[in-house]
Amino acid sequence: MWKYEKKLEYPINIRKKDLKMAKYLMAQYGGPDSELSACLTYLNQRYSMPDDKGKALLTDIGTEEMAHLEMIAAMIYQLTNNSSINEIKEAGMGGYFTKHDNSLFLSDPEGIPYTTSYISSTGDFITDLESDMAGEQRARATYEHLMDLTNDPDVLGPLSFLREREIIHYQRFKELRNYYLENKIQKNS
Amino acid sequence: MYNNNFRNDYYNYVNNNYNKPLYTEDSNPNNLYDPYQGFIRGNLFPNLYNNYKVNAIDLKPLNEQAKMLTMLDSLNFAVIDINLYLDIYPEDKDMLKLFNQYRNEGNKVLSEYEKKFGPINLNSSANENYPFMWINSPWPWEGGQ
Repeated sequence: MWKYEKKLEYPINIRKKDLKMAKYLMAQYGGPDSELSACLTYLNQRYSMPDDKGKALLTDIGTEEMAHLEMIAAMIYQLTNNSSINEIKEAGMGGYFTKHDNSLFLSDPEGIPYTTSYISSTGDFITDLESDMAGEQRARATYEHLMDLTNDPDVLGPLSFLREREIIHYQRFKELRNYYLENKIQKNS
Repeated sequence: MYNNNFRNDYYNYVNNNYNKPLYTEDSNPNNLYDPYQGFIRGNLFPNLYNNYKVNAIDLKPLNEQAKMLTMLDSLNFAVIDINLYLDIYPEDKDMLKLFNQYRNEGNKVLSEYEKKFGPINLNSSANENYPFMWINSPWPWEGGQ
């Protein structure tokens, strides 16, 4: 089971409204390489990991991704809070507003709704781990693009934190994959 | 045409930036960042640290509560990062010791924080207060700290 902690993994305190940035951040909320995709992928793949190390790592990283999804949501919430209709129109979020008002919805910056076709599981744990490594790299690249799009330190701090977590997760997945290959760990069936 | 130079450059780039050497059993945990320095970097392991655009951004807690939360966040972060390491290297005694040191320190700060500022966990003894404090704002996403 999971328990809620009434705090974020890293604090989000954004003082300046920026609706355009909020829109770009949707990539990491409901886009293909989003925190949601990472979370669902790992928590789903853990059932076919061959040993305790794999079951633990996929559970723990999957859990951390949930906290990252919450950070992204908090950023979008604070960047758009109390915005006027004119600000919404100017930021190109009129279409989003028509469907969802100011509520959060799991879609990418272009309004394409989240779909489970963004996640994968093959039952082959080496394939899954290599796919997870690639996913972490894609998310890291996405964070770099997001960091290119802002100079607000209130936004750059959390984005830099999240980007660095992708590097750590990539490293741990790689270490686990290498361990399985070097020790010729077999699928237990 | 296949460009060998580009390929070498690319592999050097990737290796230098993202394929840092694996940790070995005898790696020295004293080489880790302290919890706060690790927290503001999102990474406790200096040989895996790789920044982009900005250097580590210092947090500037505005009040006593935010200051204490930063301390708690830092210790919790150290526990999370060492947890992922220990999942793969469960026999690393030094890291296990460090994990438990930060875990204990974090628990102390947590109960002090909850006593002063209200519950972070549902099972906090701060929830013995009347009326039920769990529902109190600010909720984590609301910011303004």
